[in-house]
Amino acid sequence: STPSSSANRNAILVSNRQKGNPLLKHISNVKWTFADIVCDYLLGPNTCALYLRLVTKLDLVDDFVKIYICLRYHLLHPDYLYFRIRELQKNFRLRIILCHVDVAVPGNHRKLLNFFSLEECGRYLETVKVYENKPADLIQGQMDGDYLSRLNHALTAIRHVNKTDVVTLGSTFGSLSHVMDASMEDLARCPGIGERKVKRLYDAFHEPFKREV
Amino acid sequence: HDRHSIRRKPRFQNMVQFHEHIITELLEDSNGGLVVTSSGLGLHKLISSLFLLHHQSQGCLLVLSATPPQKSSILRNYENDIQSQFSGEVPNLPSEITSDLTANQRLSLYTSGGIFFITTRILIVDLLTHRLPTTAVAGLVILNAHSLSDTSTEAFIVRILRSTNRSLYVRAFSDRPHSMVSGFAKAERTLKCLFVRKLHLWPRFQVYVSQDLERDPPEVVDIRVPMSTYMIGIQKAVIEVMDACLKEMRKTNKVDVEDLTVENGLFKSFDEIVKRQLDPIWHTLGKRTKQLVSDLKTLRKLLDYLVRYDAVTYLKYLDSLRASESFRSVWIFAESSYKIFEYAKKRVYHFGRTDSGKLGLSKTVSTKKRKLNDNKKDEVAQQCRAVKHDVVPLVFVCLKDQSTSTETRVVLEEVLEEPPKWKVLLDVLMEIQEERDKHALSGEEKYYLGDGDDNGIVLVACKDEYSCMQLEDCITNGSQKVMREEWEKYLLSKVQLQALPKRNAKKAKEPKGFGVLDGVVASAPGKKAEVSSISKQEHDALLAAASEVSKRINKDIVGKDDNQKHVDGGGSVKGKGKGKKKKGSAGEKANNDVAPEDDAMEGGCLNEVFLRKHNQALDAESSREMKKLPPVVFYALESDKKILDILKPSTIIAYHPDIAFVREVEMYKAENPSRKAKVYFLFYEDSTEVQKFEASVRRENGAFESLIRQKSLMMIPVDQDGRCLGLDSSNEPQSVVPQNLITRKAGGRREAEKEMQVIVDMREFMSTLPNVLHQKGMRIIPVTLEVGDYILSPLICVERKSISDLFGSFASGRLYHQVEMMSRYYRIPVLLIEFSQDKSFSFQSASEIGDDVTPNNIISKLSLLVLHFPRLCIIWSRSLHATAEIFASLKSNQDEPDEVKAIRVGVPSEEGVVENDVSLIIFVLTPLFRRAENYNTSAVEMLRRLPGVTDSNYRGIMDGCKSLAELAMLPMERLAELMGGQMAAKMLREFLDAKYPTLL
Repeated sequence: STPSSSANRNAILVSNRQKGNPLLKHISNVKWTFADIVCDYLLGPNTCALYLRLVTKLDLVDDFVKIYICLRYHLLHPDYLYFRIRELQKNFRLRIILCHVDVAVPGNHRKLLNFFSLEECGRYLETVKVYENKPADLIQGQMDGDYLSRLNHALTAIRHVNKTDVVTLGSTFGSLSHVMDASMEDLARCPGIGERKVKRLYDAFHEPFKREV
Repeated sequence: HDRHSIRRKPRFQNMVQFHEHIITELLEDSNGGLVVTSSGLGLHKLISSLFLLHHQSQGCLLVLSATPPQKSSILRNYENDIQSQFSGEVPNLPSEITSDLTANQRLSLYTSGGIFFITTRILIVDLLTHRLPTTAVAGLVILNAHSLSDTSTEAFIVRILRSTNRSLYVRAFSDRPHSMVSGFAKAERTLKCLFVRKLHLWPRFQVYVSQDLERDPPEVVDIRVPMSTYMIGIQKAVIEVMDACLKEMRKTNKVDVEDLTVENGLFKSFDEIVKRQLDPIWHTLGKRTKQLVSDLKTLRKLLDYLVRYDAVTYLKYLDSLRASESFRSVWIFAESSYKIFEYAKKRVYHFGRTDSGKLGLSKTVSTKKRKLNDNKKDEVAQQCRAVKHDVVPLVFVCLKDQSTSTETRVVLEEVLEEPPKWKVLLDVLMEIQEERDKHALSGEEKYYLGDGDDNGIVLVACKDEYSCMQLEDCITNGSQKVMREEWEKYLLSKVQLQALPKRNAKKAKEPKGFGVLDGVVASAPGKKAEVSSISKQEHDALLAAASEVSKRINKDIVGKDDNQKHVDGGGSVKGKGKGKKKKGSAGEKANNDVAPEDDAMEGGCLNEVFLRKHNQALDAESSREMKKLPPVVFYALESDKKILDILKPSTIIAYHPDIAFVREVEMYKAENPSRKAKVYFLFYEDSTEVQKFEASVRRENGAFESLIRQKSLMMIPVDQDGRCLGLDSSNEPQSVVPQNLITRKAGGRREAEKEMQVIVDMREFMSTLPNVLHQKGMRIIPVTLEVGDYILSPLICVERKSISDLFGSFASGRLYHQVEMMSRYYRIPVLLIEFSQDKSFSFQSASEIGDDVTPNNIISKLSLLVLHFPRLCIIWSRSLHATAEIFASLKSNQDEPDEVKAIRVGVPSEEGVVENDVSLIIFVLTPLFRRAENYNTSAVEMLRRLPGVTDSNYRGIMDGCKSLAELAMLPMERLAELMGGQMAAKMLREFLDAKYPTLL
């Protein structure tokens, strides 16, 4: 079945065990097919996901210990997760546990991704599949936005400086180097920039990066 | 109250009696207490008096959470007190313990028994590392107690100190009663987290306080200044929009309707009210509701700035606002918003079109005549409706309409409405002087000089530094000149500023300056497409006016030759209008000298002459005015300096009324009963300014009433010695760690092996998690970590991110770098995403997820991170307390972390090869954040966000250049040297010098 396997390469394989999971309705951006696999979702040659639904009727689930107890009592087998993970053996580089917390008052759970709505669950599965071979540029901070958004990004590194302030500073001084070189008095003349913000700006620009000891 | 009775108690000389009452009450309980007073009742004096009671033999007294202005006013007061007590030799003054001191220096200071200001971060680290013996501390004084909570570091410090030092006293102070009542039983919780029992309330209406302050009150003159028609219009429009936003909010049914009033909306605390209610359901709110919350904030600012800023500055602020908000805001599209912009514009200039030039000219003539007769600006303001007739036209611009090829004349008339208060201030000052002159003439010098050391200073108190500078300018140079300067600056900000002589005159001297500017004017219409609110012609007119102004400035610098050239160049195109323009910009005074007929006699030299003449006239006039005015000092309320006691003014003008300042004046008068003090209040009639002032009194009283009620119902558990047991005693959560109590008895060192240990990065002491971990019974070891924030075991390293941090550090690429480092050095790298307790435990509402996989969504970024670091564990925590529980369970079957190893991780060793480093990356640069407190963190963060700056080169930049200001000046070659590459240097340099796009 060569044609089917090449088609499968671009699709998420879903374990037959997941049949009837409402989550499947939310996987719409990526193809998926049922298959006979060990994990719940096969997202790539080295990537798999296990699905875990956490239902709790307790209202006070607000810490780990209690969630842990819920996990124990609400799953049919207390060691369910452990066995599932052991089942996967060493076949996968990335193992994701989709933990769908189905309560109004959510809790927390260790290991990877944790969701509060089926939409979110579905989107994570889709994204992991779509981004399978994507380089990390997106999160490495090489922003190539336009001038204004970069300026915004840079100046808002200083606390309490907002977008309106950036516009005011930009239009008053004309360029970032002039902003950085502005005197305290000139900064104070900018509408909307109060005493404390002036000081914060001035200190950020003029105090040395490293204060000598 | 008279001097003799006070002298009998030398310690508290010059002290108001109710302060003595406060101190006596506070000293009754040896544990200390929490004092809440009305604002402006001289807390700094109270605290410096407390310092006088301190003696070295008791141990040291540590002062926490004082703001810099508070510190300096306390110190100044203390110095005064002590000098009057011990003439000559002054015992050791309170000093500051900073991170610049070495551990040994700090220890010797702690044990010296002095008084020290210290930051909570240094103190907690010294306590946890046992550098500070707890018994060396006699007591704590904590300022701004309203910002305390049971998870704040102050509470952590008190808990540690209290556990071993039974005789410790804690005295906490707050002068913001309304902040003490925000949230459930806040006063009670604050008391418990400080382990004190007594709450002392000292409102302004308390009998001792009012007795003291009303015995000999200052003379008060209340001046109600009518606002101009346009100001009223703007205020009305803003309130309408605000009301509309509030109605919209009510419709969402998510907020308690009772609090949603315009009056509440005037205060900053309104945001808190709304935020507290909305935070838990924030993720379920639509974009529109979220936007409404921030819009209300913006609208409040608009109301505030309306009475604080002049017309031009206000317009400029509105322009910035429009440029930064237009796409998101709800309010900008509200019907009344249009009026705000329209009126604000009309206060500055009027734009119109006429078909024939004649009309414009004749109008000018009439205007000028009127001007000659009647130069009073306030009347101009009064008659704003008839704006056209009251203004001096500045610019006539002829634009050839291409399509019809008929000539339409566009008129940009300058209105420049002055803030009505300016005139009133000047009048008041003159009146004061006249009165003094009268007394001086009649030989009654003593009358206003009071007890002889009166300096006759008039103090004008404004809200901010900006108003101070402007008002000072006003009384020295005349208000019209100030308005004109603001206007010119406004126009200049409309065009590119690069070549303008504002900050470096050198560039302006190059004839190129003209070219650049002219180029801007020509190219500007291209950008027009974006702007819908201003018509094209209006925009062109503004730009033409701007280029006129800049030309004139250049001309002033370059001199006559250029002036001539400029006339030759421009005259032919623009025709008659030209002359008018120049004179207009030369100043209105010039018009008094120039007859309208001069229009025909066009000439640069002539203009130059008039210009000079005008300047001289102005100088003469201003100096004349100066003679008439008493010595004036301007004071910005924002700076929070206690200036009354230093200046000892005889007359005070509250230009922007503020309740705290009113109390300060009352205090000043009560302390100096022999001194004359007259106070003028300048209010805008029927303005939100008055409303806000009155509401703030009501609000404070309400807060105190609530506090008094709370005090009567409060339950403070105490032990058999009458000491407060603190917050934990009543509702201590079951501890995961049985050895919880060991840290309480610091003697439990023997069992320390069993105790759970967490290594915590120094920088994390800004947050409250270390406190909560300690509450859970873990031992906290503060060190400086190069990799990770918390080390739980030899295998587990945790990077902790709050939601806002998470988004930010994804954007900057920092998180990627941090995770990379963690994965390199630890078997189990953990990213802990922590939500705050009262906020919803979710990133986004379902509606925000969208239909497609988009690169900017947080889901995409997290997925990508997981794909690239398969070993990374992501843990989601609902709150601080949940995090502590998670840490405890993660550690349950792990070894304790090794402090020495943890410090070494990621730190390059001498040879440049990192120990344990799998990929043997060689670091040649010194590591950042060896001692975090010595870095200017916002500067470093900003540097790292600049284009071309990467994780590998920013340290080099910091080594080679001192500050951002210095960086702004570095030439390309040097940058390339520091950044290790031409490309990066070019990128940075270009970004730094890039011209900010014009607003129009």
